[in-house]
Amino acid sequence: MSKRFSVGLVCSRMLLIIYAVISLYPLIWMVFYSFKNNQEIFIDNPFGLPTVFRYQNYVKAWESFDLPVYFRNSLLVAVAVLAITLTCSILFAYATARMRFRGQNGLRMFTSIGLFIPMQVILIPLAVLVRDLHLNNTLWSVIIPYAAFNLSFSIMVLYGALRSLPFELEEAACIDGANVFVCLFRVILPNLKAALSTVAIFIFLSVWNEFNLALIMLTRDKLKTLPLGLLFFQGEFTTDWGAMGAAMVIASLPTVLLYCLFSERVEKAMTVSGAVK
Amino acid sequence: MRKFFSRPWHIVVMVLPALVLFLVMVIYPIGIVVVHSFSQWDGINPMIFTGLDNYRRLFDDHIFYVALKNGALFALVLLVLQIPLATILALSVLNTGRRTRRFLRISYFIPTVLSVTVVCQLWLSAYNAENGLINQLFEMLGMDYRQDWLSGSTTAIFAIAIVNMWQYMGYQFIMLFSAAHAVPGDYYEAAVLDGCSRTKAHLYITIPLLQETYKYSLIIAITGGLNAFSNMYIMTGGGPGYDTYTLTYLMHRAAFRMGQYGYGSTVATVLVLQCLLVSLIINRLVAREQIVYT
Repeated sequence: MSKRFSVGLVCSRMLLIIYAVISLYPLIWMVFYSFKNNQEIFIDNPFGLPTVFRYQNYVKAWESFDLPVYFRNSLLVAVAVLAITLTCSILFAYATARMRFRGQNGLRMFTSIGLFIPMQVILIPLAVLVRDLHLNNTLWSVIIPYAAFNLSFSIMVLYGALRSLPFELEEAACIDGANVFVCLFRVILPNLKAALSTVAIFIFLSVWNEFNLALIMLTRDKLKTLPLGLLFFQGEFTTDWGAMGAAMVIASLPTVLLYCLFSERVEKAMTVSGAVK
Repeated sequence: MRKFFSRPWHIVVMVLPALVLFLVMVIYPIGIVVVHSFSQWDGINPMIFTGLDNYRRLFDDHIFYVALKNGALFALVLLVLQIPLATILALSVLNTGRRTRRFLRISYFIPTVLSVTVVCQLWLSAYNAENGLINQLFEMLGMDYRQDWLSGSTTAIFAIAIVNMWQYMGYQFIMLFSAAHAVPGDYYEAAVLDGCSRTKAHLYITIPLLQETYKYSLIIAITGGLNAFSNMYIMTGGGPGYDTYTLTYLMHRAAFRMGQYGYGSTVATVLVLQCLLVSLIINRLVAREQIVYT
């Protein structure tokens, strides 16, 4: 494509840069103020780099606030959901994509109903159900619903990937006398790495950041995940913006790092989910 | 080989865990919501069927209309600001170098991976009446425009919608960018060679070819607006008064603050019907034929 100088081109470049500033600067501002004290944030130096790096804000956020607990809860929930959803959906997708039985297509289409239902619509019955199953006041009260809700997307992506693999893979294994489970885990799974990582990233991000269900289910402080634990604006940190900023930066690090390391995979995982609505 | 693929107990073991989980945690609750929407129930005592009473009450409830209006305004902001802006950004990024493009993509997309709590609190401090970023910015520019954005009854819903737009701009951007990137370059170049300006070539060639992606963008933006909740919950608590209530907020209040599970379910049913209706309409109107590049 030729790159002549033109007014249009300059305008479009300007716009790209301006929006990059709009998109990034609030975050940079947050990182900056996480190193400042109130005097500096409000009066002396609201916009620029901190004059002194007050890393004590971070120590304070980590120690005097239950951040380690929230972190642990978020991690436990994410790992448990990943384990349950991936196991269930790999087995289900394999059965519907490669095994032969009556109604396999109907069954698969049935699970795609979940793609069209926003989770908050069934918040009320879920709360009642979790209470009746005696899961309330445990992390299972969010793990099980999250796992169930991520099935539809996970099955859809894995089904697509499984359909594109050649059947010769199983033939070789079958002649060697392996049963279907051994074959699935030894032969098929190594060929599904791309699809599995897409699904895993999507599930991790959506579980890590989920708010609505966690708000209803996790009322005890000991059980809160990060998005809930950070709801401290009306709480003890109101007056200390620096420590508050530090806590928010710490809480954001895992997903931002994940994104910076695997940016293309993350973008793909997020947008594939949009394209099925 | 046939046997390998069709042992009944293998199939049962494979299908059952996912199916049970899905039936119990997704399908059964959907059914329950619809049933409860016709009843009065406090969550403890036996349920009483009341027919259409809840629906009548809902249509008489003035907060319901506030919530409808807010859902529509929220969706409207995304529709008129987010999607056009994302389109312009996506098309402009197309003719940048590789490294610039990578930097821009990352800077647009980062807010999307943050938790809604962090984003909302960040903007709460940006909107803060005394010390917030925005008011300080106006002050620095010498403009007397200082105000409390989130407590004005007309500005609040827009202030909140802007936050959501900011967070998910990168999402719409990436969707449109990937689709525009996949359009074969020769279509566009042929038009430019024929003396068409870049803007016109995009307007008449690239954008119409993106219609399928627009369909998804539209559905996501509008249903996202109708479903909005966490932004309001964190930033305004539904206030001032009921001015930033949405349907999900109304459901939340009915069920979890007032213990009216039946009425809450009615709101949820209306919400899901509304989302399905919007998806159906968009599916009928936009991108009815699939575009395949050969």
